[in-house]
Amino acid sequence: MARAERYLSMQAQDEDRILRVWTPVILRTVLTAAGIVLIAGLAAISTVPGEYVQRFRAVQDNARVKDYGTFSDLVVRAWHGNPRSIMTLGLMILTLVPLARVAFCLMFFIKTRNLAFVLFTAYVLAGLIIGVMLGRIG
Amino acid sequence: MLSILGGLLALSVGAGFIGALSGLGGGVFIVPALVIVAHLPMYVAVGASLISVVATSAGASVAFVRDGWTNLHIAMVLECATVTGAVIGAYLAGTIPDWVLELLFALMMLQSAYFSFRKKGDDLLPKGSPIAERLHLGGELPNPEGQPIRYGVTNLAGGGALMVVAGAMSGMLGVGAGAVKVMAMDYLMHVPLKVSSATSNFMIGVTAGAGALVFLARGDVSTVIAAPVALGVTIGALAGSRILPYADVQWLRLGFVSILLLIAVEMGWRALSGI
Repeated sequence: MARAERYLSMQAQDEDRILRVWTPVILRTVLTAAGIVLIAGLAAISTVPGEYVQRFRAVQDNARVKDYGTFSDLVVRAWHGNPRSIMTLGLMILTLVPLARVAFCLMFFIKTRNLAFVLFTAYVLAGLIIGVMLGRIG
Repeated sequence: MLSILGGLLALSVGAGFIGALSGLGGGVFIVPALVIVAHLPMYVAVGASLISVVATSAGASVAFVRDGWTNLHIAMVLECATVTGAVIGAYLAGTIPDWVLELLFALMMLQSAYFSFRKKGDDLLPKGSPIAERLHLGGELPNPEGQPIRYGVTNLAGGGALMVVAGAMSGMLGVGAGAVKVMAMDYLMHVPLKVSSATSNFMIGVTAGAGALVFLARGDVSTVIAAPVALGVTIGALAGSRILPYADVQWLRLGFVSILLLIAVEMGWRALSGI
């Protein structure tokens, strides 16, 4: 019994060590990608004289402007150098950071066959998807 | 353009720095700053705030997770409770008047501030409750001499119940509820304050990320505001996460209590003016 408990404790420590190495790698990678895209968007908007200030004033005056129709439309616009589409893409990448982290943990616990934590992370992922569908989590 | 961008970046760096240190996410500071200082509409501030919570959470967690301040196992167990609360909150949204929720939130913040103020330091337990031990929720943190001290986790049910409330607040009010999360771990579950703060930072990104996606899809995030805010908050959060290990727990607790009181006053004011 004591041996089994010791084995489980060592397994938990191993899991913790691996997660502590890989979670920051995932966070840093996605954050860097989002940062580069956001800086590219800001650089692109600064090349159009007066564009940023004009947009800022429009937002202050309560003008709602959706910067894209569909996701593919957004990607095409960003590809063609539309500054606000590039920035929207950067923000989308940023918002995927926590979801990517939960998905990674789920796959990791499936691999290590830690059933309790597979259930916890799968539940969180399912809850988030339902929450997004209900449309008001946050 | 440079003065507007510089102003937004400065506000955001400050919010990310304090958000990372306190475990509250930075949204609490970004919303009033954008509305009062930058004269932006409320929905724009809320959208940018959600993005800033995600950025603070991710930016601060890079160092917190690597250096062992974040308790990953506690985070994953408690996220089940916050997500449950968030879904219930999303379902109930609109059925309870906002002012009632805001008043309840303000009262809860006042109570949290009182309990946090009374508590003088971390009261660590060498061993946690049986269920927490079975799930390996306990951890270690270095003492001032650099030696590891073990802490156990207790009252998972009480902490989980408060996390459901925190999640429901997120779903109904659109706030990160980081203060409730820190309080639940620190006061009810005997998790050390710095670990509670780092773990709360890690957890708030999940619900805020889902919320931010909804806002982005609706077109309620203004990119010209949210992009510099996200960049500034990330820089602030990265800096804040470097400071936390050296911060004095008493000062951290005092700062936390002050922020709780400010939130209570802000929410109370919003509730009473909305009756």
